[in-house]
Amino acid sequence: MSNNHTHTEGTYIPETYIPHAESHGTGSLWRTFWILLGITIVDFIIYFAFGASMARNIVFIAFGIIKAILIVGIFMHLNYEAKFLRWMIVLPAVIFLSYLVCFLLIEGNYVSLEKYF
Amino acid sequence: MSNSSAVSSTSIWTGGRSPFNVSYGKLMMWIFLLSDAFTFSSLLVGYGAIRFSYAGSTTPWPDPATVFNHFPFAHGLHLPLLFVSLMTLILIISSVTMVLAVEAGHRNSKSEVSKYMFLTILGGAAFLGCQAWEWSQFIHEGGRLDSNLFGFTDAAHEHAKHLKLFDPVHWTEADKISGPVPFASLFFIVTGFHGFHVLSGVVINIIIWINVMRGTYERRGHYEMVEKVGLYWHFVDLVWVFVFTFYYLI
Repeated sequence: MSNNHTHTEGTYIPETYIPHAESHGTGSLWRTFWILLGITIVDFIIYFAFGASMARNIVFIAFGIIKAILIVGIFMHLNYEAKFLRWMIVLPAVIFLSYLVCFLLIEGNYVSLEKYF
Repeated sequence: MSNSSAVSSTSIWTGGRSPFNVSYGKLMMWIFLLSDAFTFSSLLVGYGAIRFSYAGSTTPWPDPATVFNHFPFAHGLHLPLLFVSLMTLILIISSVTMVLAVEAGHRNSKSEVSKYMFLTILGGAAFLGCQAWEWSQFIHEGGRLDSNLFGFTDAAHEHAKHLKLFDPVHWTEADKISGPVPFASLFFIVTGFHGFHVLSGVVINIIIWINVMRGTYERRGHYEMVEKVGLYWHFVDLVWVFVFTFYYLI
């Protein structure tokens, strides 16, 4: 959106367009690394401190989702991309994944019940 | 002039510029990764559905802690999760060196890009070595695509329940009976599919690294190829987060 002046209608060629990339410094990258490492260590501690339970599984999955958001947002740079690109990547993933998980929970239950009837 | 900026901010889809403000190659890489995310999520959801179907079965799903409890040079001890945590650590470190290479590329620093690319390749190779060791242990103990010897007898199960860290593992070949076959085949398919992604990531990284050292991108004036391969590499790390969660933690 900041490239209006450099890429006007006459000169824009989609195949060769490279937006100017700028370094945001390494501070946020290292911070993300320490958070990812910390979450993995907490995962490890919870694994040995608590027995297997649904609550523990939910915590593990929640931590996994937090790690995924950090990797995609900071490491893969999606937080800094244009709004339309962000939505084009995030929306289909969220919609399709929630669809798959909902049907896993509904149909998976049926598969295990089926044995008893 | 005063309303020209207002016009361009509302007409992002009328042509003349990229609505995504991103190069063609990077946009295609994102779309490829989105489709790959669907493939991996289908595999993991399939794993969940099959594992779910064994709830309350006479041949229960094996507890990962009793199967993946080996560590190099610590033979016969009960050490669940330690080795995969090491693999996770290796992948996180190689992810941060990759992102540092991308950052150095934004500053057009050829020596730094090439240094961090090299470290990333080392990390990827270390991860692949760990996975090869994990697979050889699993195959050695009776995991096959079409059979699974991790259906322990009741006595072995009782023994496994009370195992603490570093305890010696006592069960013998006689304790092993046939367990759910999909446990072994899904392990090979999902970690194999991920491992193949890591392998191709290492190969692509090596190609880009050679190009960096030959000065291809310095002459081109930008290091966007490093960014693209970086996206792929982080995606591999992202998938491992969920393979780690669903295979080893849960």
